[in-house]
Amino acid sequence: MSNTDKPLRAGESHVQAVRATFPGSVKDVSWQASDQVTITVETDMLPDVVEFLYWKRGGWLPNMVGNDERAINGHYALYYLLSMEEQDTCFCTVRALVDPDTCEFPSVTPRVPACVWSEREVRDLFGLRPVGIPDERRLVLPDDWPDELYPLRKDSMDYRRRPEPSTDVENYRFLYEGEAEEVTEMPMGPMHITSDEPGHFRLFVEGETIVDADYRLFYVHRGMEKVAETRLNYDAVTFLADRICGICGCAHSVAYAEAVERAQGIEVPLRAQYIRALVLEVERLHSHLLNLGLVCHYCGFDTGFQHFFRVREKAMDMAELLTGARKTYGLNLIGGVRRDILAEQKGETVRLVRELRNDVEALVDMLLSTQNFESRTKGVGILDPKIARAFSPVGPCVRGSGFTRDVRFDHPFDGYAHLSGFAARSHDGCDVQSRTLVRIEEFMDSLAMIEALLDDAPTGPILTEDWTYEPHKFAIGYTEAPRGEDVHWAMTGDNQKCYRWRAKAATYSNWPILRYMFRGNTVSDAAVIVGSMDPCYSCTDRVTVVDVNTRKSKVLTKTQLEDYAYNRTHSPLKD
Amino acid sequence: MAEIILAFVQALLLVLLAPLVSGTARWMRAKMHARKGPSILQDYYDIAKLLKRQDVGTAHSSFVFRITPPLFFGCMLVLACGVPMITRFCPVPALGDVITVVYLLALPRFFFALAAVDSSDAYAGIGGVRELIVGVLVEPALMLGLFVAALATGTTNIGEMGVAVGSLQVTSPVGLVIAGIAFAMACYIELGKVPFDMAEAEQEIQEGPLSEYSGPSLAMLKVSLAMKQVIMAAFFVAVFMPFGSAVDCTLPALIAGAAVFAVKLIVVFFICSLVENSMMRVRYKLMGRQTWAVVGVAALGLVFCILGI
Repeated sequence: MSNTDKPLRAGESHVQAVRATFPGSVKDVSWQASDQVTITVETDMLPDVVEFLYWKRGGWLPNMVGNDERAINGHYALYYLLSMEEQDTCFCTVRALVDPDTCEFPSVTPRVPACVWSEREVRDLFGLRPVGIPDERRLVLPDDWPDELYPLRKDSMDYRRRPEPSTDVENYRFLYEGEAEEVTEMPMGPMHITSDEPGHFRLFVEGETIVDADYRLFYVHRGMEKVAETRLNYDAVTFLADRICGICGCAHSVAYAEAVERAQGIEVPLRAQYIRALVLEVERLHSHLLNLGLVCHYCGFDTGFQHFFRVREKAMDMAELLTGARKTYGLNLIGGVRRDILAEQKGETVRLVRELRNDVEALVDMLLSTQNFESRTKGVGILDPKIARAFSPVGPCVRGSGFTRDVRFDHPFDGYAHLSGFAARSHDGCDVQSRTLVRIEEFMDSLAMIEALLDDAPTGPILTEDWTYEPHKFAIGYTEAPRGEDVHWAMTGDNQKCYRWRAKAATYSNWPILRYMFRGNTVSDAAVIVGSMDPCYSCTDRVTVVDVNTRKSKVLTKTQLEDYAYNRTHSPLKD
Repeated sequence: MAEIILAFVQALLLVLLAPLVSGTARWMRAKMHARKGPSILQDYYDIAKLLKRQDVGTAHSSFVFRITPPLFFGCMLVLACGVPMITRFCPVPALGDVITVVYLLALPRFFFALAAVDSSDAYAGIGGVRELIVGVLVEPALMLGLFVAALATGTTNIGEMGVAVGSLQVTSPVGLVIAGIAFAMACYIELGKVPFDMAEAEQEIQEGPLSEYSGPSLAMLKVSLAMKQVIMAAFFVAVFMPFGSAVDCTLPALIAGAAVFAVKLIVVFFICSLVENSMMRVRYKLMGRQTWAVVGVAALGLVFCILGI
């Protein structure tokens, strides 16, 4: 251990506490970055250690990663990422090895419910069985996927092939956990009028009251992580990470880039850090306006919906101004950003910020004074703080239940580390209204942050290429996306590719609490409850949907595509 | 004889022009949304397209599901013959009695709800139940408002009521005005627009009873619903605002009456659009509070009427 005179490193107090409470269970401790420590523990002790850090030391669980490390050390490994937020803030990862012969490990879910989705996912993708997990259904893989094929095992399959379907019927069981005996099952989805993406909610209703709900997602899982490990070089994955989400692409690519940068010890130039924070805030602007519009829509107030979308165009213009595209894509590289902010762009952005502030203030006044807004949102979709603490939800969802969790302030990164005068917003109504109010306040904060970041950004380079690549290094990258924290975990391989990349979108942490938010509300509130979570279906699934019309498929030449990209006229897709 | 011809022409015109009215309402809605919006003829396009499509019903549905669209449509046609629109009198006096009209409105509602439950679709079922509940909640206000008008004018025939109101010969004007306000509110709820579009609430229950209909059946229901909206507006206008409508059956009077009716419809639907586009949908469970307020206003009208003010 370190010299007692030296101040403790971030996370060291947690390590000491674990050693003291569970003598002999810690096998190894290593730091990946100044605020990231990984403790390797005996597999049998895994639930105890995670439970201890989660409940006793103020940890939250944003993500859990499975990894096939048989090529490195002969075992599978599990990484339970814990964000320590009460004392000695840092990311504390608990690592345990799983025997490749038995492929079993003790499930943490009964002690820390937040692990449930990750453990089900690890079972699906790696075939590692969490012993004692209450819910053993499939999560990620489709119903017709063969039983013994685990796609993320290094030796399992060629990513370009798809196995023969093993069944023709849907065999997913929806579980009912309520107490009422006579309930009607109401399907909501897989395609539903209020969501553009597939998700199947099964509502168990008594009259119009929802007694319980279950859901099946991952209808569009395309396996980005497998593609990243097998097909792309590690430095191209930032562009793939952009495509995880249609709204908060930049949040994902920043999270990925910073995971690699931290693992490789790359110091990102200060100006690039500011630019990243700035673009993340622009993303928050248009995402929150989207959600505010949708809240109106779900309550049958389409006028508000349309007007929020009209104003949202200005946020999209801002994105186009700063990144070159309406979606904040293609900005990040490992080591910095691709695009600087010029003086005239800065001036134009400031002007747009002012316009947005005026427009949105007027619209928000209108929304809050609209007839029935209060009755439709207050007390609807209650997220009990106890449930929130157990499941580690993120973003406005958890902040609407009285917790001030926000990665930007809990673990300041990039430009946020240099900002002052801002704090995480929270409301304690625990309902749809609180979550909406949190979004409104955050939107106004974002405008102020953009102004502050533009003013304070230092001059200098925006990209560094000064590092040497080291294989088998891993670390965590995190950002606060508009819907909550995106936490990515990346390990580099010895072939200039990711050995393992685990992307967790914000909504992944929020889905498991939805069932509790549904209970006791009526069918007519279902849409607004799902909406108040601001869910991202395909982000959770980590896919993009490609629509291929096989009969009329057309191959574009590179020149055609480039011409179109430059001129924006004569689309080669139109005849 | 001329009255009978007028009745048929009026019904036919209503069928032909109802989609234009609903299309215009959609267009107005779009303008208030700051959208470009569809053409005012869009509902004709929709109906033309639906008529070409296959008519599919759910496997477990019975004849109720099948006969509801024609029944709904038929009731609206009968109503269109009876309710005065461009004239002050009822083209077919036998169909112009308020009790007849209210029951002709209740009959399709009953079958609409029954068909919704019959379609064995969970969302449609909820929509059907809601449809009935809205009926139960609104009809007291509707009836009470009409009773006040009947007391004040001494008749239950819409045409004669209109004549009495039009010539300002009523026993209790204040009572009548208050009853008119209550009746207007009740009619608005009947229109099935936000904030009271309980049965079809798109985001909540996916268009409720309509969700299992397709092709010509859906087209027929859409036309019927559009007709119902015009008839409700005409109903209100005929009893409480008959000013300017044709008093006899001569051609110039009818043309003038038609023009006045068009203007009144535009005003009514513009006001409806304003209400519709500035509110959120009422929470279904709280609907009763709003409708009781309407019943309260109607009761107030009754009190004034009894006092003879």
